[in-house]
Amino acid sequence: MSSGTFIEPADPAQAPAEQLHVAGNHPPSDAVLSVQDLNVSFNTENGLVHAVRGVDFHLMPGKTLGIVGESGSGKSVTSLAIMGLLPPTAEISGSVRLRGRELLGLSDKAMCAYRGNDIAMVFQDPLSSLTPVYTVGTQIIEALTIHNPGMSNQAKEARAVELLAMVGIPSPKNRLKAFPHEFSGGMRQRVMIAIAIANNPRVLIADEPTTALDVTIQAQVLEVLHTAQEETGAAVVMITHDLGVVAGIADDIMVMYAGKPVETGRVDDIYYNPRMPYTMGLLGAVPRVDVAEKSSLVPIDGIPPNLLHTPTGCSFAPRCPLVADACLTGEPPLLPAAGDTGHKAACIKSDELGTDVDALEIFSAPPVPVSRFDSIPRGERATVLELRDVRKHFPLTKGALLKRRIGTVKAVDGLSFDIREGECFSIVGESGSGKTTTLLEIMEFHADQDGEVVIGGISNNRAADAKTKAAMRREMQMVFQDPTGALDPRFTVYEVLAEPLQNAGMDKKAIRKRIMELMKLVGLQPDHVNRFPNQFSGGQRQRVGIARALAVNPKLVVLDEPVSALDVSVQAGVINLLDKLRAELGLSYLMVAHDLSVVRHISNRVAVMYLGKIVEIGEVDRVFDNPRHPYTRALLSAIPVPDPHFERTRERIILKGDLPSPLDAPKGCNFATRCPVFAALPAVKQEKCLTLEPPLEAVRPSPAAQALESQPASSADQKFACFFPDGELDEDMLVVHDTADPHAP
Amino acid sequence: MTNLNAVDPAAVAQDAHLDGADVVIGKSTIIFRRFMRNRTAVAGLAIFLGLTVFSFIGGFFTPWDKETIDPFNIGMPPSGDHYLGTSQAGIDLYAMTVEGTRISIMIGLIVGLVSVLIAAVYGCTMAYFGGKVDRVMLFVLEALIMMPALLVVAVATSGGGDTLKKNLPSWLLLIIVLLVFSWMGTARLIRSLSMSLMQRDFVKAAQYMGVPPRRIVWRHLVPNIGSLLVLDITRGVTGAILAEVAFSFIGIGIKLPDVSLGVLIGGATSQVQTFPWMFWVPLTVMFLLTGSLAMMNDGLRDAFDPSSSSVGRAKKNSAKKAGK
Repeated sequence: MSSGTFIEPADPAQAPAEQLHVAGNHPPSDAVLSVQDLNVSFNTENGLVHAVRGVDFHLMPGKTLGIVGESGSGKSVTSLAIMGLLPPTAEISGSVRLRGRELLGLSDKAMCAYRGNDIAMVFQDPLSSLTPVYTVGTQIIEALTIHNPGMSNQAKEARAVELLAMVGIPSPKNRLKAFPHEFSGGMRQRVMIAIAIANNPRVLIADEPTTALDVTIQAQVLEVLHTAQEETGAAVVMITHDLGVVAGIADDIMVMYAGKPVETGRVDDIYYNPRMPYTMGLLGAVPRVDVAEKSSLVPIDGIPPNLLHTPTGCSFAPRCPLVADACLTGEPPLLPAAGDTGHKAACIKSDELGTDVDALEIFSAPPVPVSRFDSIPRGERATVLELRDVRKHFPLTKGALLKRRIGTVKAVDGLSFDIREGECFSIVGESGSGKTTTLLEIMEFHADQDGEVVIGGISNNRAADAKTKAAMRREMQMVFQDPTGALDPRFTVYEVLAEPLQNAGMDKKAIRKRIMELMKLVGLQPDHVNRFPNQFSGGQRQRVGIARALAVNPKLVVLDEPVSALDVSVQAGVINLLDKLRAELGLSYLMVAHDLSVVRHISNRVAVMYLGKIVEIGEVDRVFDNPRHPYTRALLSAIPVPDPHFERTRERIILKGDLPSPLDAPKGCNFATRCPVFAALPAVKQEKCLTLEPPLEAVRPSPAAQALESQPASSADQKFACFFPDGELDEDMLVVHDTADPHAP
Repeated sequence: MTNLNAVDPAAVAQDAHLDGADVVIGKSTIIFRRFMRNRTAVAGLAIFLGLTVFSFIGGFFTPWDKETIDPFNIGMPPSGDHYLGTSQAGIDLYAMTVEGTRISIMIGLIVGLVSVLIAAVYGCTMAYFGGKVDRVMLFVLEALIMMPALLVVAVATSGGGDTLKKNLPSWLLLIIVLLVFSWMGTARLIRSLSMSLMQRDFVKAAQYMGVPPRRIVWRHLVPNIGSLLVLDITRGVTGAILAEVAFSFIGIGIKLPDVSLGVLIGGATSQVQTFPWMFWVPLTVMFLLTGSLAMMNDGLRDAFDPSSSSVGRAKKNSAKKAGK
């Protein structure tokens, strides 16, 4: 780093003026929302926490700003500070101007004139942001009444109907009288958006609006947000931790770390030309759903800094692979990168980091581990787990005294698959498709189960006595979704890891030795064994959970959403660890995940479930690259990809409605009610879908493909359950975002 | 691969931070520290321990005992001979108070401890097995709650329990009856608490590891409701002492020649005007006893409170105190 490019951090008092000068192409006079040098700190028991430190941005009308960062990076606090919703104990300084009027320092009452009128917010959890005792109509009308006291009742109702129609709720007039519990999560989030846009706000802040939703529903809600923005012309601040979500809809991106923006710029600059190691790491840490090539993910080691202490150097320095002595003296200011005033990065080395720098190299990502089983053909490997026609039906009863059976919920309906040694098999699907029930059926195997579960060659039908059961238990262990809940808070790590070993009847000395081995294996320091789980970070806790599962040397590890509770940067480390362990120990995995990118990265085979049935199963690259079932196609097209160009131009299938309740599952094909192919079929063919249940059949490649592959057709490892896989898609369900690229050169 | 095992600087920094704060201290130490920080609770503990010691060795400081009648001092106020005066039968009040305190504390401790133990085992078993076991056990529990405890105590200790009475001292009989009727509320609380614990993944993890149910209840459920158990013990002790006093006061609890605080208070109510010391002395002791337990309970609740269970906070508080 030459000293010439290093600029002394600006005097804090002059920083806003400096900002105005630098933000040349965003004259703040036009900006609908200008935030300047926003600082928020909370006084907690532990001391002063500097949650937000110097956030600056200017939002133009009709534009979308994406704020990206890990949990604890200050994204949500920023949005709450703008809305004036922080508790009075928070100390806020700086300036927030909405169309030139200062919002900071206004009383709660004065803010009410703006909130819900000029500036509105959509919250993360749609389940708890609507009042359960009022109808959604009342709640929309309430938002209208407050800011339009003169509006007549009829006008308000008409507007409410209009709003519900705008966010895509079918038969809006009747739904006005429905209560929130009658809506699904995605529908409730639509209602929230309807309330937010009721008064045509100039600024709409969406705080992780889709995090709590399924991917297909996420695609719907993002689409609704897009329409809402087009209809109202509002500027949108989109807060998210998912780089994929904002890639398609944002114009500008602000990456936050430790309460500070570390890189800002146009969306293409951030994604294709990141100039800050943290951004590069974040982009490299996310697996891509559309890329088959196997490479390790970029792990960002360590954890975000404690905001109790103001960092003396660059806040990312402790985790940065490029750290130099100069990084530790003074926090680098946000400066234009590569002479481009629109793209700013807070890194003294930003000029050295160009497009040609590989994040994998910088972060020294581990090499792709190779398992000894990889070279053996699948058919020749031993079967670790086999399911034959497993069913789990729950009776649905009604009546308090005499319980009448009014129906059956078919949570799992005739599932068959097998897992071979050294492979990772994943089950994907929306929530409610029966993924978790399947796992429970396997983990809680018992003799009188419907269907057969064969674990390590022993069938559940013979699992009557405790000895056989124990033998089966030793073959498989589980890693849970929430690493905090899965560890007894009163056990030290030593006790946690010792439990399965004691249970296996090992003596004390052997247990001690094994625990030290395990700690090393999962990349934890062996002297941490005396700590309690709450003294670890989330990623470390998940490592403890993995170590516990591996303690008794199982053949199969069942992973229930192993990384969904972790931050992106930590997630990569855990995925790499799982990959490594699979190769080194020859483990097999059965994974359930809703994140298809993670599934594609780690799995060898995948099964797509819909309403308790497998609709498509096969080798992961085949299924993902050439999905045959319309549901798989819809699921894949709903996954946001962290690639702005691709996101803007790709064709999406937006499914209508939600997963139907398993109770009123259709008679023929389960998926017919939402199927984009079905909707476009002629009535004669539709009849077949509605009456016959499509069987799970192997893909018959077309003659041309057969000739190309020069392989016998039977070897294709892909099966699907659909009569018309090649049918036309219904045009109503296809959405292509504006191909007119606003940033095209 | 190297990266996974490599010691990264951030983790080291974090370690240094953690080590500096010496966070690796046992939970019990933290609870003990917090409890000791609460002055009222410590005072309560001191009073309670003092009373217990007094009830055991107090007898050695006077030549009188609870049965010897002093014919020269009948109904005398406190004097050098009789520290706290005598009853109208001429029995030394000090000797009786020592004896009564001992009986009351014994009843309280035994009933408090045993009933919580029964409740813990019963509640956890119900929650762990669920289904039919739960339903039957819940029915028994509800039936016991609905039974009129007062009548049963009255019948057992006076009329119907003649054969029992011959074989057992009245305080033991009272303990048994109190035990039968004191554990249900706690058991129901523990049941619901353990049911929510059962949903936690670590219990599932233990099940999937093949840990036998007995071990899961003992190692995972009971410790995690431990704080509630400790609280319930102190509460149960207070409750049992008060119940004993109340039953004895209306004449259906401890029977003479056994003495307890309740018997003393009950016997003296009619003569508060003529022999005030006979009434006020046992009453004061009872207040000290239950009051000290209540003070302790308060401190224990704060010490166990999960919302304040952060180590940093405890450290900070002590640091603040040290600063002052």
